[in-house]
Formats: sequence, C-alpha cells, structure tokens
Amino acid sequence: MNPVIPGPVPVPLPAPPGLLEFLLVFTFILHLLAMNFLLGGVIILTVSGYLGRRDSRHHELTRRVGNALPPVTAFTITLGVGPLLFLQLVYGQLFYTSSVLMAWYWLAVVFLVLLGYYSLYWHQLQYDELGSKAPWVMLATAALFLFVAFIFTQNVTAMLHPQDFYPRFLSGQVGKIFGPVPLLNLARLAHFVVAAVAVSGLGVALLSSRWRAESPELAAWARRYGVTWFMGGTLAQFLVGLWFLFSLPAEIRQALVGDKFAVGVLVLAIMLALLALLTAPTNLGVASVAILGTVSAMAVLRHFVRLAYLRPYFDPHSLPVRGQWEVFSIFAALLLAGLATVGWMLYVFYRPAVNSRRVSV
Amino acid sequence: MNYPVWEPYLLGGGLVIGIIAILHVFVSHFAVGGGLFLVLTERKAYRDNNPALLEYVKSHSKFFVLVVLVFGAVSGVGIWWSIGLVNPEATATLIHVFVWGWAIEWVFFIVEIAAAFIYYYGWDRLDAKTHLRVGWIYFGAAWASLLVINGILTFMLTPGRWLETQTFASAYFNPGMLPSLVVRTSVCIALAGVYALITSSAVRDAALRYEVVRYAAKWLLAGALIIPFAGIWYISTLPSMAREISLGGAPAVTVFAGFSIFFSALVMAFTYFGPLQRPRQFNLVFAILIAILALSTTAVTEWVREAVRKPYIIYGYMYSNGLRLADVERVRAQGVLKSAHWVRQRDLDPQHLASAGNEIYRVQCASCHTLDGYNSIRLGVRGWSWSMIDYQLDHLSTLKGFMPAFVGTEEERQALGAWLASLNPPPASISIEPEAAMEGIQSQDATAKGAPQP
Repeated sequence: MNPVIPGPVPVPLPAPPGLLEFLLVFTFILHLLAMNFLLGGVIILTVSGYLGRRDSRHHELTRRVGNALPPVTAFTITLGVGPLLFLQLVYGQLFYTSSVLMAWYWLAVVFLVLLGYYSLYWHQLQYDELGSKAPWVMLATAALFLFVAFIFTQNVTAMLHPQDFYPRFLSGQVGKIFGPVPLLNLARLAHFVVAAVAVSGLGVALLSSRWRAESPELAAWARRYGVTWFMGGTLAQFLVGLWFLFSLPAEIRQALVGDKFAVGVLVLAIMLALLALLTAPTNLGVASVAILGTVSAMAVLRHFVRLAYLRPYFDPHSLPVRGQWEVFSIFAALLLAGLATVGWMLYVFYRPAVNSRRVSV
Repeated sequence: MNYPVWEPYLLGGGLVIGIIAILHVFVSHFAVGGGLFLVLTERKAYRDNNPALLEYVKSHSKFFVLVVLVFGAVSGVGIWWSIGLVNPEATATLIHVFVWGWAIEWVFFIVEIAAAFIYYYGWDRLDAKTHLRVGWIYFGAAWASLLVINGILTFMLTPGRWLETQTFASAYFNPGMLPSLVVRTSVCIALAGVYALITSSAVRDAALRYEVVRYAAKWLLAGALIIPFAGIWYISTLPSMAREISLGGAPAVTVFAGFSIFFSALVMAFTYFGPLQRPRQFNLVFAILIAILALSTTAVTEWVREAVRKPYIIYGYMYSNGLRLADVERVRAQGVLKSAHWVRQRDLDPQHLASAGNEIYRVQCASCHTLDGYNSIRLGVRGWSWSMIDYQLDHLSTLKGFMPAFVGTEEERQALGAWLASLNPPPASISIEPEAAMEGIQSQDATAKGAPQP
C-alpha cells in the first residue's frame, strides 16, 4: 500500500530547496550548540549540585554555571525557531502529520520548556535559600528537558516514516499516538544527550576562564572538571555513536557507508573529535573549534540520513519554486546586520568595565 | 482534509490556540512597549538626576526579563506549535507565503533577546550612554518583530491583492497592515503602563511611589487614547461581511465587541480616577485589578478579531476547516470521504451511515466544534430532527454566514445529518393533528426522525 502523505501546498517554495536545506542545517547547528550547552549543563549541574553539598568548589561552580543557563535557554529556544521554520517549509507534509498524530505530547513541549525555564531562574535567584534542595530543582529541570529531548527525537524520527503514518493513524486516537520505533529512538536520544554533555563540559571549561582573575584556583579546577566531562562524553560517544549507527535500518546504514560524501563527512567528524580530545587539556581554543567542526559535520550527516530515509517517498526537489529574492536579500542583509549588532553588544559587555555611570546623555 | 484532525476534548483546537495566543499577546505587546518604557524612564532618571527612579527602573527590568524573556518567548513558540497542530494546512500556506518574513522576524528575535540580557546584566557593567543604547536596540528590534508579524496576522483577514498576484509584497502590505500596526503599537504603550503600575505599586519610598504611579498611569492612558481612533481606521479596512458580523450579524460576536469597548472604558476610567488622581491610595490589588481588566480586553478583542474572519482562516482563500475555495468543486464532486486522507471509512454503507457521518464531522467540522465542550455540536443540534439538520446543512453558509458551506455529496450530507441526529435523544414534538389536539394529547412524533427526502 502506498504511504498516505498529505499533498503539498499549492503555493510555490520561495527559494530553491537546496538553499532552504542549507539554511535548515545551518540554523540547526546554531540551535544545536545552545541546546547542547543547556541540556548537558543541567545534567552536569545536577551532579555538581549534589557533590556541592560537601565540596565548596562544586557548590560555587553550580552557582556560576547556573547563572549562565537562563540566557542559554533563551537562545536555545530562539535559535530553534530558524530550523523549525525551514523544516516546516520543506518537510511540512511529513512534519505536521507526525506532529498531529502525537499532538498532546508535542504541545506538552511548550509547557515543559516553560516549567524548565522558570525552574532554572528559581535555581539561579534562590540558590542560597534553596540550600541542599537546589540539586533537586536542577534534577527536576534536567528531567523536564530530557523529556523534551525525548519528544523531539520521537517526532523527528516519526516524520521519517511516512509509510507508518496511516497504520499509526488507524491504531489509536489522533493526538495520543506516540513514537514509532522505541529502540532506534533511545539510541538517537542517547547520541544527542551524550553529545550535549561533552559539548557542555567544554562550555564549562571555557566559562571558567572568565573567573581566572578573581578566583584562579576555582577557575583552574573548573577547567579540569569541564574537560573531564568533555573527554568522558566524547569517549562515550564513540560507543553510543556505533550503537546508533547499528540501530539504523540496514538500507539506511548502507546508503550511509556506500556514499563517499557521507563517509568523508563522518571521517572528518571523527578526526575533529579526536583532535579535540587531544587538545582539550592544553588548548581549549583549538578543541572548541574542532568540536564546532564535529557538531557541524554531524548535523550535515544527520541531514543525509534524513534524505536517505525519505528518498522512496518524498523529494523536496520535485516541489515548484518561485524565488522571492528581494525579500531574501533583505533577510540576508538583516541577518548580517543583526549578528554585527549582537557582536557589538557582546563586545561592549565584555570589555573591561568603565566605571562612569554618571556620564551625561 | 489533507491532515489528520486532532480533537482536543472540551477545548477544541480554536480555544487551545486562543488561550495560548491571548496570554502571549498580553505579554508580547508589553515586551515591545515595556522596552520603550525602560529606556525612556532610564533617560528621564539621568536627566532629572534621580537615582531613586533609576533604582526603580532596575527592579522593573528584572520583572521585565522574567515575564518577557521567559513567558513571552515560550508562549510565542506555543502559538506556532498550536496552529501547526490545529490548522496545519493554513500554517503551511502562511509559511510558504511568508517564510522570509518570519526569517527576518527571527533575526530581530535574536537581537532582541541578546539586547534584553545585556541590558539586564549590564546595569553595573556598562556606562549610562552604552546602556541606554542597548536599551534602544532592544526596543528597535522588538518593535521591528511586531512590524513583521503584524502584516502576517492582518493578511489572514485582509489578504488583499495577494489573491491575484501571489507575491510577498502584496501579501505583506495588505489593507489591514498599517491601521493594525498603529493599534498594536498603541496597545504596547498602554500595556507598558499596565505592567509598570504593578511594579510601581510595590515601591517602598512614598515620594517615589507617588511619582512613578502617576507616570505609569500616563503611559497607560496615552496608549489607550489612540486605540479607539486607530481601531475605527482598522475596522474600515475590514471586508464588509466581517464588519457585519461584528456589528449585529452574529449576536455573540457583537456582544463580545461590546465587551471589548466596555472593558477598555473601565480600564481607562479606573486608571484615571485611581492611580492618576489618587496615587497615594493606589496599591498592588488595584494594579492587578487593572491588569485583569486589560487582559480581559485583550481576550475579548482577540476573540472578536478571530471571529470576524469566519468562515475563513485566510479570507477568500481557505475556509476555517482548512478547505481551499479552489478545491470546493472537486471535493463536492468526489465526496469528502474519497478526498480526505485521514478517514477510517471511505464508503457510505447504509448499515454504518452514522459512523461515516462521524468521519465527515471530524474532517469538516471538528476544527471549530467540539462534541461537548466549546462550541458544542451536541448542544448546537439539540432538539433538531434529522430533516431539520439536513435542511440546515444544505443551507449552512446562507443560514449561518460565519460557517462555510457543507462540501460533499448529497449522501454524505445525509450521513453527517444522521450522525448529528444520533447525538441527542429524538426531539419531542407537539402533534398538531386535529384529532390528537381534540383529545388534548401531546404525542411524541417518532416519525419526525424519519429520513429526509432527497
């Protein structure tokens, strides 16, 4: 039986699918970086918060990194808007269907994120008052965000299986039909979570360099601590990545290993991860750039896997296109101007403080 | 028709979107107006050399961050989530038309969020001039994001020339765009005052409280005074049918439109006679009362704005159930059950007529109606016989102007009618046969439930 896939919107795509897919992957990488720091951060801080009951360094680290997490949450959410926009544009026929089938769970994401976000602020603003209860707040936050991650992997995996849409539709009540392939999803979820912990460990190490001037001991320790998480996570990823690779259906795996480009990207990702492992203890800068490369390469590979899954059912290049180049140019110009503005604001924020609040305006 | 239909129990899809959207509107307009409030008040504090006022702005900025950056951002995503679940076809259409608009808005979001955090964390790190500049960047980006989304929202009610040209420019610069922008900007200013009344009521220093309470009240009144004029301009751009619905055509909508005016008047009166005239007696409870009234105004006004768009979701292009006008003839000829993807039953088997009717209800009616909750269909047809229901279905768009016509074959219409008739016990009707009347017997006419004659 042919899969039931909703028909495309009779409005042409506003740019060639290639460009839209590039933007999808590019904006997804931005989201992924913030998301990794957040998800890994709440996991690391749950552990550190617990250890911090006896160890003042952990206590202080949890406070300081905890201060950074609410803004990271804001950026995770906002940067997520971009990829979801392009995903809906190109793959809407699949994405809306899989979302509607699990509508209650998908809608729950909004409320779970809201709760998690406010609990991060609670942790930050009431850290001292919470005392030994603070790790519980962080644990609850980690549970909320892990559940969000689980729902996400369920939905984006479900959308890759249009042949299951109709049978799943028949199997239950629309809105409550959750998740198609549990084992694959666990591997996929684990792949993401372990990556998040590794990247976040690196983030902690980077953040600690800002404490060097006023608390050099704490900074040196936090750097080693973050790097330990990073190395542990990255080493674990070699196993989890293999698990994920072998949990993929044979035809997808073969499409992956049979394609020179995909293999090249995979090898590049692994080489960069190895480079990051080697350099992290001594040179955080090189390690960070290398891991940025790994994350980007894996995002490209992920897109390749998506295309391999969908090849028999759906080809975005078959959709009609009528470029809206004028508006696209405005977007591109504003994107550059916007990033420059953010860069300027970060520059004035982090440059040495000028203590002259009373300058006339 | 194209997508499976999710039926969120008693709420129905419309109310799921509505609840999230109303809360979001109430916060997101504050996100814009509150930004202007922060920079102008901060500047005033420097100019008047008033450190107490500056302290107030600082504390207000924390409240601002906790409300705007968390609830505002997440609820905004929530609207997007819910419209994709309830109206995937319309959402997909909007994204095809406006993706670059949304991408531009996304850039403004990034700038807005970064600026808000740097403003908030920058009180002790940045010099006054740079701090103010960051505040202006925040407000600029926030208002620009309103500028973008406002055009997309008004497009749904007044798509204007897009229906012929299908270009981005004609879609975005639609007839309702400019007046709505003025309305929304005024709402932003008024809401900045509403929220500032909350924080100012908590100021400890009596002299400062006196000053900021009155100051906040002026913001509220200044914004609120522009709204009626801009509102009339906006209403003048509406399609005539939408105007008729709000001005008497559909009683519920007219009543809500009345509520909108009534609540706005209450907000203004309370603000004038309360915080502006008697700032000393003003307290948190009063501030929250004004906020609740303002939220009620937002709720009923947004509800009316959504309601007048009926029977469309994109005016003159797509009905509220996701059916494009261009597809009506095809579906009518083919039948609903044969055109819809997500049905369990494709044939009209006389044995299972009502269950086929239930399928038809789901794909064609359930995006607005629920069985027993909001806009309940069971209540809607209570006391109606099958023939009455069938007559209504046959003349739906003329009898109820805010509903789309039933689209499907005649047999499908009857199946839908059979299912609707099965929702309630058969109607008890008073017999008017002369012999029964003579005997003074009120008999239940079971035959009234007979099949309608084609």
